[in-house]
Amino acid sequence: MNKWSKRLAELSGLLLALVFVIPVLWVVLSSFKSGYEIFAWPPTFLPENPNLGNYVQALKKSNFGLYFANSFYVSTLSTMLTLVINSMAGYALAKFSFRGNRLIFFSFIATLMIPLQVILVPIFLVVKSLGLYNSLWGVIIPPAATPTGVFLVRQYMITIPDEIMESARMDGASEWKIFWIVMMPLAKPVLTALTIFSFMWRWNDFLWPFIVIGTQRKYTIQVAIANFVGQFSVDWNSLLAISVLAMVPMLIVFLIFQRHFMKGIALSGLKM
Amino acid sequence: MKKQAAKLLIVLLVVSALSIPALAQKKVLDFLWFSDGVEGDVLKEIIADYQKIRPDIEINVIETPFQDLRIRLQTMIAGGTPPDLSRLVNVGDFAPALLDLTPYLGLEYIDDFVPSTHRNVIIDGKLMAVPVDVTANGVIYNKDHFAQAGIEVPTNPEDVWSWDEFVENLEIVVEKSSARYGLAYDYTFHRWLTILYQAGGKLFTDDWTAMAINTPEGERAIEFFVELHDKEIIPRSIWLGGENPNTLFRAGLTAAHWSGNWMLTNYRDNATHFNWGVMYMPYGKVRSSVLGGKYVASFKDSNHPEEAVEFIKYFTSTEVNAKFNEESLFISPRLDNAQLHYDFGADMFEVFSRELAVSPPHAGSDWAHPFAGRIGDDLRDIIVEALQHKLTPKEAVEKMEQVGNRILDDYMK
Amino acid sequence: MSDRKRLLTPYLFVLPNVLIFLIFVVFPAIYGLVLSFTKWDVISDPVFVGLKNYISIFSSESFWDTTRKTFIYVFAVVPWTFVTSLALALLLDMKIRLRSVMRALFYIPSMLSAVVIGVSWRWILGDNFGVINYLLERAGFKSVGWLTTPSWTMFVVILVSVWARAGYYMVIFLAGLQSISSVYYEAARIDGASVWQQFWQITLPLLKPTSLVVVVLTGIEAFKVFDLIVVMTTGGPGKATTFLVQDIYRWAFERGDLGYASAMSVVLLLILGLLTAVQFGIAERGGNAYE
Repeated sequence: MNKWSKRLAELSGLLLALVFVIPVLWVVLSSFKSGYEIFAWPPTFLPENPNLGNYVQALKKSNFGLYFANSFYVSTLSTMLTLVINSMAGYALAKFSFRGNRLIFFSFIATLMIPLQVILVPIFLVVKSLGLYNSLWGVIIPPAATPTGVFLVRQYMITIPDEIMESARMDGASEWKIFWIVMMPLAKPVLTALTIFSFMWRWNDFLWPFIVIGTQRKYTIQVAIANFVGQFSVDWNSLLAISVLAMVPMLIVFLIFQRHFMKGIALSGLKM
Repeated sequence: MKKQAAKLLIVLLVVSALSIPALAQKKVLDFLWFSDGVEGDVLKEIIADYQKIRPDIEINVIETPFQDLRIRLQTMIAGGTPPDLSRLVNVGDFAPALLDLTPYLGLEYIDDFVPSTHRNVIIDGKLMAVPVDVTANGVIYNKDHFAQAGIEVPTNPEDVWSWDEFVENLEIVVEKSSARYGLAYDYTFHRWLTILYQAGGKLFTDDWTAMAINTPEGERAIEFFVELHDKEIIPRSIWLGGENPNTLFRAGLTAAHWSGNWMLTNYRDNATHFNWGVMYMPYGKVRSSVLGGKYVASFKDSNHPEEAVEFIKYFTSTEVNAKFNEESLFISPRLDNAQLHYDFGADMFEVFSRELAVSPPHAGSDWAHPFAGRIGDDLRDIIVEALQHKLTPKEAVEKMEQVGNRILDDYMK
Repeated sequence: MSDRKRLLTPYLFVLPNVLIFLIFVVFPAIYGLVLSFTKWDVISDPVFVGLKNYISIFSSESFWDTTRKTFIYVFAVVPWTFVTSLALALLLDMKIRLRSVMRALFYIPSMLSAVVIGVSWRWILGDNFGVINYLLERAGFKSVGWLTTPSWTMFVVILVSVWARAGYYMVIFLAGLQSISSVYYEAARIDGASVWQQFWQITLPLLKPTSLVVVVLTGIEAFKVFDLIVVMTTGGPGKATTFLVQDIYRWAFERGDLGYASAMSVVLLLILGLLTAVQFGIAERGGNAYE
């Protein structure tokens, strides 16, 4: 690629990023505004007197330190679980032909199509009878088996040549070893994406923790934030402030893992 | 590296298993609650006081956003673990799952509460809940806007504005002040009912078996509401675009907000950069507000019915109820709390209570109907069709009657 | 290793996922299917009504109207999200400056909760305090009812949906692009293929498994859209942007008819299942995409 087209790409990328980020920027800036300024007419972008009032007030109102800790605990453990079981399933569905392969695969995808709201009552019954009601494990385990994750891993592993597995088998490696030592490193890009997603999914989950948790002490951050929306009014100041804080961990996870999206790293092992 | 991760996982598992709190032998009552203003904080103070007298009881407040209250209650009830207590807006809707309070409190318990609340809580001759506060619809206005336009709102209930005067005056305010629109009007069927009652109409027949909205009065109410939108006194973005009316008024974009007394703490704490007050609502054929309320109830399958009822008794007792309503800026349903001492806006409460006093009986009883809430959203959709001029007022009330009756028949079975 | 053990391997690998699924999704879903033949408001006992719910769904005008609008929304959102996220991924796959920053910026919208998306876009497009209407008025034009005119509202919810999800699918495409070995591109360059030709002849075909993921997931997601619409338009004006899942939600939790809502979900599942099967069918016919 020549220099000029590269400059052009950079420029258009930056312009596009700006358009993408304006609403987000407004959210962040507004979290430093005083109540009436947020929706002032004529509309404003920059805060008149930037201050931390909203943050102080919101953090005072409720035990947000605890809710952040709960969310962090849930999201981390659930993501670890997701990574292991989803890649196991994705690997099997991509690389083995066995009776029931297609049935299992399509059932996974089909479960994505069921609106969670409608089956909340039976889900609650199951959660309760397994003793998971009011337990953070009830928020960690069931959502970890994500169909999206299985789908992503499967589609990615399809593109990895079978010969790699075959040669490992010739060398006498166990099936688990082939999966864990050979395939997992090769699937790094998709596992990276899955880590970023899974953390975000669990961090942003509302409905599931809302139903499973019935003690304020165990609330996750999103369940707590939802309480800023009243019957007839919304506490925008607190809501924006805590929402901005709630974005930070997801952004950090993204920034840590995104360096794996570099061309060439992933398939270095494949250039045989 | 991987072994370490596995070890870490096991440690976390063990720690979390051990950290299940070793609760003492306290009885824990779950209390489902939703808030708009400061009432949640007031409740927590009351609970703290209660736990001092009853150290054996712990009340676990489960704060739930109002819009998700039903979802949570439905799942908890279906799961056989309802909360021990809940704040409710429509008792009849949940009646089959509620604890009959009559054996504990006696029907006469309700005699201390204003009669208009009785139909809400006595279902099939049984006391199913106790009123905690009553609400009145009303108009909150931006005093600065009205002053800029040189308009004085009526201060004497004897000479309140007619609908037409109300419209004219709001038009003047928009023209001569910094207000962009005249009126923010809540996007709920319940709020629209204010206009229906002012027009002299009603929602249900007296025996609650059928709709009674298809009348010239009903038509007139729709017509007036359409007029308010066509003249852009009410910004179309609320009923057609989901804009939050509370936000519009707080931002100083509208000169008034057609809402109710429950908004007072919200505006006390948030609308601080302009002066505001409560004005008498205009009259159509008659004057009217709408009486609503919030209730507290327990559930049949509750694990601690006796303790729950005891708390209900405490919470609705004269003194505690006075504290709750004074600090939350609500109106008490208790007859012996008719004169409360509010630190804020005593004059506003005067307006609300006078509005309630002149409201026709239907303005209190229609909303007590167990299916009022379920019908409300469908009927609201029909009003929107009238606002879009897809239906004439006549067609709208006909359709409302038809849709409402169908739902009523369906559930009466 | 014995053959039997070998046969068992894939089953053991899928087991944990399948187990959680059976317990927490499949079983509740079957329960939901049973519910669809009842009338149940959760609070009283359910009553068996046979096929009544299905009959009233199919004979209900508003159901077909909602379905039609849902299709319009889906068929706009899916291609636009696909094209946008692929374009972003291709751009950020190049060795340009600031690309890690840009990646984060594009991804950020997908982290926002629906409430926050709603309020921030209202600030831009709101009829009463939106920036665009403010600028239009300042410039002497009439303000536009972005959120109160049915046709504009549809456009706005589509636009915001694409905006909110493009960064997410960009990440999936970025991961997929890593699986294409640079060997292919080197060979193509030696043959003198243009960037454009490389895209059509190497990138796109080799990206097919990933593309299938994106199309299927955006499709399902768009069909199930709910929160975003509620915060943007509450499904209005009137019912102009009320789609299937919001309708289902209203039946279940506003009208309290879980039986009818379950029956609608079954119908939704059938529609989605059919569409997804078609997508896989097309992808398979095109060659080695699916397996």
